[in-house]
Amino acid sequence: MKKINRFKAGMASFCFILPALLVVGLLLFYPVVSSLFYSFTSKHLIKSGCEFVWFENYVRILRDEEFWSAFLTSIKWTAASLLGQVMVGFTAALALNRIRRGRGLYRTVLIIPWAFPSIILALSWKWILNGVFGFLPNFLVKIGLCDTAPQFFSNSNLVFPTLVFINVWFGAPLIMVNVLSALQTVPQDQYEAAQLDGASPWQSFVHITLPHIRVVVGLLMVLRTIWVFNNFDTIYLITGGGPAGLTQTMPIYAYNTGWGLKQLGRSSAVTVVLLIFLLLVCMLYFKLLDKWEQEGA
Amino acid sequence: MKKALSLFLSAAMLLSVLAACSPQPGTGHTSPPSGAPGSDQPAQSSAPADLEGEITFWHSFTQGARLETIQAAADQFMADNPGVKINIETFSWADFYTKWTTGLSTGNVPDMSSALSTQVVEMIDAGAILPVDSLVDDIGRDQFYQNAITEMTAEDGSCYGVPLYSNTEALWYRTDLLEKYDLAVPTTWEELYEAAKVITDGENGNAFGLAMPMGTNDMMATLWLHLYVRSAGETLLTEDGRANLTSKTVIDGINYWLKVYNECSPQDSIHYNASDEATLFYQGKLAFDFNTGFQISGVEANAPELLDKLDCAAIPRVNGGDPETGCLTTNIPVVIWKNSKHPEICAAFIKYLYDPARYVDFLLSVPVGMMPALKGVTENETYQSNEIVQNFQHANEVLYQMLGGSTSIGMEYGPKAEAGLLTSQRVIENMFQDIIINGTDVETAAAEAEAKLNELFETVG
Repeated sequence: MKKINRFKAGMASFCFILPALLVVGLLLFYPVVSSLFYSFTSKHLIKSGCEFVWFENYVRILRDEEFWSAFLTSIKWTAASLLGQVMVGFTAALALNRIRRGRGLYRTVLIIPWAFPSIILALSWKWILNGVFGFLPNFLVKIGLCDTAPQFFSNSNLVFPTLVFINVWFGAPLIMVNVLSALQTVPQDQYEAAQLDGASPWQSFVHITLPHIRVVVGLLMVLRTIWVFNNFDTIYLITGGGPAGLTQTMPIYAYNTGWGLKQLGRSSAVTVVLLIFLLLVCMLYFKLLDKWEQEGA
Repeated sequence: MKKALSLFLSAAMLLSVLAACSPQPGTGHTSPPSGAPGSDQPAQSSAPADLEGEITFWHSFTQGARLETIQAAADQFMADNPGVKINIETFSWADFYTKWTTGLSTGNVPDMSSALSTQVVEMIDAGAILPVDSLVDDIGRDQFYQNAITEMTAEDGSCYGVPLYSNTEALWYRTDLLEKYDLAVPTTWEELYEAAKVITDGENGNAFGLAMPMGTNDMMATLWLHLYVRSAGETLLTEDGRANLTSKTVIDGINYWLKVYNECSPQDSIHYNASDEATLFYQGKLAFDFNTGFQISGVEANAPELLDKLDCAAIPRVNGGDPETGCLTTNIPVVIWKNSKHPEICAAFIKYLYDPARYVDFLLSVPVGMMPALKGVTENETYQSNEIVQNFQHANEVLYQMLGGSTSIGMEYGPKAEAGLLTSQRVIENMFQDIIINGTDVETAAAEAEAKLNELFETVG
């Protein structure tokens, strides 16, 4: 009788997790396995049939200068965007945490960038920064900061920092909201005790605030690293990876290979390399998070 | 445990990102028996009374008036044929390309669709569409302009698309700006540069003579280089399907457009696509532009105050004495997909669209912009009495003059799959950007781009 009940309970548990298993299995693993499979083939986007080429796609992409250039751009793009987003988001969260009145309103206003589809944001920034009729370049000339309208998207020195700025503007609110939530969980009595012991605000921040929120920030970094590294739409819609490949990141390279050249096999190989790289980065992050958790415990 | 869970979740998320890039397996290229859906049997138009079934029509006629005209035709067709249901789905040209190329492997393609002539070659190459010779004969093969039919004809001699309309490129200009600077309409490339320079210098940043578009999201730089090269009697794609970017004419063309970019264009035009270019014109900040007759509807919708200051001229020539010839015409056909379960309904509906009154209505949804694929339609009374047609008689004449003998880019020696790669891979746009941003020598950049294109061409055919 006991055995039957245990079996029934087991079946019930299995039924509860079955939908999730199916979703993960069908929507995640199947396409990924097929991607891995195609990376070893000559699969073409519109031509039927393909043959096994084993590691030929990997060899080709790893020998391609454009691939390495895109890889380096992706790393710069991710590092600069993350640094900017964390700094701005963190500062905004600390400021909002001090505000007693209208915190909800500020939080809502600051999260607005997340409410818009990326195509609207990209086209809006393209409009605002247009070198001929854009508001900002003409405004900078008007107030005398520049002699001629700055060309944010065509000047080779400005285009990359401009895209990073847009990405920081877009991504910082997410960091802000999450850090703010974490800040509100820090016990106030610890601050009071530190104050009584004569700790400075900086010491309170380093020894009380940071240890409490670093796990949240760490997890956010993991998520944002993956999202920013794989970001496609912002760059593609604004510069298309140009001028002269200066803003071509790995996802754009993969897209051009798969959808431009229609070489799906090669494009799949790019995405597999991307997966391996990001998994390695995530492992490093988690190692660090684990260390922090242990220290916290 | 927490660590393992976190690792699992992040791995799952990474995989989901990858999944977006993953191709979907599927055959999509099966060969059902002759006569069944998906067979190679040519599409036949049959008597409307026999028709029963449901078809899906993808088209890229996204502007309001064109969309409504096609919908009205479909509604009327369904009223005349109660057993028929036509589902219309509309996509931009870029989305349409993505839809059919990705849909082909899973069989998710429509029964019939509009297409670009360069895409028709790819569709034939992929074995995705049906020959439509009997339908073309039924409508009247002799009535179609020959060039349009030739572009839809495969090596086996079968025609795979029914040309619906054409559009051809011309030089559009602002009459008020020419008057302001006392300039004549340019007839040679050098005159165009000089006029553009005078206007750019005179307007001091408020307006520009030209805006050489080189964005890698579009094929505009290829198109503009093609105009120069074609006007000199050469082509970017040779008869044997090789890229030509290193001949003296092409190098001259590249140098010409670089001079225009440096002296007459906004610096930002290095990343302009067609839409950016049009926006600048609608803002009243551009004196010259290359476009089809769609320029009129664009200006009418976005900057009606410029409508009476708009006219067009023939594509400039290298030398004043050279003949004025058309350089670029895009033919838009309708095709029937091999996967269709009801090719007979598609054929009947296509034929229905060519009913004289209905066809003129369709063309007039973008007057002057859509040029008829059938001869003699412009003499139709309704067509002639249209206000835009009347107001832009000169532009209309120029466009018809440009239409004669010109083809799509890369189709000068007949349909070629390489033509699609020439325009879609942005090799020429990247070449221009490389010269400007990295200071690469013109000859070196052109030779590299030519080699890259020839390497790409080896993936087709």
